[in-house]
Amino acid sequence: MTGAGRALSLVATLSYALIMAPIVVVVVMAFSADSFILFPPSGFSLRWFKTLVSNAPLMKALALSAQIALVVTVLSLAVGVPAALALEKGEFRGRDGLRGFFLAPLLLPTLIIGLALLLFFTPLKLTATLPGIALGHMTVTVPFVIRMMSTAFSTLPDNVEAAAATLGAPPWRVVWRITLPLAAPGVIACSALSFLLSFDETVISLFVSGPRASTLPVEMVRYVEGRTDPMIAALSVLLIAGTLAIVIIVERLVGVSRAVGQS
Amino acid sequence: MAYLELGGLAKRYRDAVAVADVTLAVEKGESVALLGPSGCGKTTTLRMLAGLIVPDSGRINVNGADITDVPAHKRNMGYVFQSYALFPHMNVEKNVAFGLEERGVAANERKERVATALDKVRLNELAHRRPRELSGGQQQRVALARALVIRPSVLLLDESLSNLDAKLRQTMRREIRDLQRSLAITTLFVTHDQVEALAMCDRIAVMNRGRIEQVGTPADVYERPATRFVASFVGSVNVLPADRDASGGLIVWGAPIPGAKSFASGDTDVFVRPQRMRLVAPSEPVAPETPHLKGKVEQNIFIGDQVETIVSGPGGQVTVQSLSGGAMPCAGAEVKVVWKPEDTLVFPREAS
Amino acid sequence: MSPSARWSLLAVPAALLLGFIYLWPSLGLFRTAFNETSATGAMIEALSLKVWRELMADSFTYELTLNSLWLSVTATVIALCIAYPISLFLFRTESRFRGLLAVMAIMPMLVSGVVRIFGWLTILGDQGMVNSAARWLGLISTPMHLLFNWTGVTIGLAESILPYMILALLAGFGRLDRALEEASRSLGAPPWRTFLRVTLPLSLPAIVLAAGLGFVLSMSAYITPKLLGGGRVFVLATEIFEHATTNANWPMASAMALYTLALMLGFLALANVLSRRLAQ
Repeated sequence: MTGAGRALSLVATLSYALIMAPIVVVVVMAFSADSFILFPPSGFSLRWFKTLVSNAPLMKALALSAQIALVVTVLSLAVGVPAALALEKGEFRGRDGLRGFFLAPLLLPTLIIGLALLLFFTPLKLTATLPGIALGHMTVTVPFVIRMMSTAFSTLPDNVEAAAATLGAPPWRVVWRITLPLAAPGVIACSALSFLLSFDETVISLFVSGPRASTLPVEMVRYVEGRTDPMIAALSVLLIAGTLAIVIIVERLVGVSRAVGQS
Repeated sequence: MAYLELGGLAKRYRDAVAVADVTLAVEKGESVALLGPSGCGKTTTLRMLAGLIVPDSGRINVNGADITDVPAHKRNMGYVFQSYALFPHMNVEKNVAFGLEERGVAANERKERVATALDKVRLNELAHRRPRELSGGQQQRVALARALVIRPSVLLLDESLSNLDAKLRQTMRREIRDLQRSLAITTLFVTHDQVEALAMCDRIAVMNRGRIEQVGTPADVYERPATRFVASFVGSVNVLPADRDASGGLIVWGAPIPGAKSFASGDTDVFVRPQRMRLVAPSEPVAPETPHLKGKVEQNIFIGDQVETIVSGPGGQVTVQSLSGGAMPCAGAEVKVVWKPEDTLVFPREAS
Repeated sequence: MSPSARWSLLAVPAALLLGFIYLWPSLGLFRTAFNETSATGAMIEALSLKVWRELMADSFTYELTLNSLWLSVTATVIALCIAYPISLFLFRTESRFRGLLAVMAIMPMLVSGVVRIFGWLTILGDQGMVNSAARWLGLISTPMHLLFNWTGVTIGLAESILPYMILALLAGFGRLDRALEEASRSLGAPPWRTFLRVTLPLSLPAIVLAAGLGFVLSMSAYITPKLLGGGRVFVLATEIFEHATTNANWPMASAMALYTLALMLGFLALANVLSRRLAQ
């Protein structure tokens, strides 16, 4: 008997149920008519969506998070793609060490990174500012972009870059006409994931945010700390829908499930 | 001075030597094959020629100019890769036009030259297809057109027929050879298939373990192999361990081999090709200067055009290849194996 | 500079940036752990071990350490028990939805932590899903307190590290030769024995590494213990944050952070050694 077998499939299904449970529950609660957390809800309504839209701090934080995520994505690509090119195409002493240095932040917990940034940014007056928060997110997104693009560049079809060279293209034109176009799916997937990474980044944001500038995850944490009503569920549904939309678009364009299978 | 000269090229990786010392001169318009088993350094040599690999030592000259330090994109060599390396995100037309675009050729001249190139390989109806929609043979022809349209000084082919099936390979062999001749383009191609090498080249360089063991015409290399490796790699051969007799002659299977002299020191092996051997009845008289062996037929293997007869004797076994259709001695029969004295090859024995 | 080395220049912006936002602050963190705090709460530049002595002498530190260790181990074990079957399923299944199922398995990673925590607040709350279901089935009459205590935090944490462990296990399975399982089956072993004698032993290195990953993620988790713990669950991560923000005692926060880091590295080293032993 090939494939997964019945027993395993059953266990897997139960596990999937466990994974999806919190998300499903949140979606249901978004439409709850109650004023507190009650499951199942006694009735359904859209009241919390209305309350959400009129909650100024949350809306402001949503806008800021989107802004930051955009800036972070663009900058991370601008810095990370060339770095990945350098690592994949260059041959120089210390290359492996440089690669290690670039990927190290991915191994460090965001708790530690956040603390280090708080200590560093405070005297520089970068805390609670858009640039400060953006820089904070980039400790995570830049290594991520470098890693993903390194993989994308190294899995290009054999010899196409060599072929371009023999046909007369100098190295930078090989990159422009062959490497980058062929790695475009990787760039797209990278941008989407980078955006999501920055948008959802919570711990680092908690350290470097402040009253003047606060991201959405930070405001959500504060809200949940203070109150227990389904408003966060309504917000969450919007966020989940947005995330799903991005993932589906990327999947259509590129094939994220392939990328996941490879990582 | 020859058109293309490789002088003392060498390349090593970590602890392994890929190319030890390659020196070769190729005339303008000549087609030379680099033949050898995998790992012998032939592809590394080709890539060094193209500028894709930097040699550790040695020089490369094209038309009198030293191009060893010239980067790949300035060498004007057409390279056809084993995997064809067609650009997946461009159609056939754009693939072929690539090199012309890089050279700044004007749009209408480009169009014309691309059309001519595709014409030569009979692919004009497929000009707007993408590589993934083409068969292996078609992809290969696109790769060829792409390499030729830039009017390279040298054409380099890297095992480009390996991925095709047998029948297609035969057809493409002839096509490429005809194209090469009609364009009179200096060509160097790499292959592990000796039939391909012999059929497509003017001269052949047999490589082994990073060195060229012999360069010559196909006939040279087949009839007068310089080393035992060349003798056994090009064509098939019987290896017969021989003993030395008192006067320096050689004895195989107890019988003296007229005309064969042993080497001054060390042991000698006698090499004879199966196709040069003939089976005769044991009673048939044999001239004194004709080498012969006595043995018993083990089996006859029918392989279509030929029949292989395995004959065993006191010293081992030999394979005799005859054209099919004739009368063959049956298994178990006593038989004499004869060949012409000029077909006897001798080489020093190597410790295996 | 040789052409192939010239590529390295493209890496300069990234190197400068990461040097600025990652390397330098990390060194700063290390340095801060050796500063002191004055009586008024301001930080004094120093090179002293005062904060470390304070940290090590405080019995609360050990309580926190035990809490963190115990929480991390429990969450990791639970997550492993759920991640392993899913990973095995994904590895073996030939369904054409395989890609989709893989994405679904790691979907929680794409959803922000707070969202999932709210989900658990709803599931585990006194009037949440579990309690409502149990009451409806007549199993209980008063609600079970599954939230704002260690139970809730453990469950929430286990679920949050799940996607990472699935990925780690899948990577490990990827190196498994499926032919070995098939060979075992063709030799007559029933599926569960094939599992016990072939699959499980061969996947042990992957399990150990996944466990190591889960442990590290759990030890450094902040939001889950803070929100699901309702202020009653104290681990190293929550205290580090307290010291850094509320108390503004940066030296102490830094020292505790380095201490936690040391614990994690120690455990990882152990997992690595164990994994390599098992791979032989």
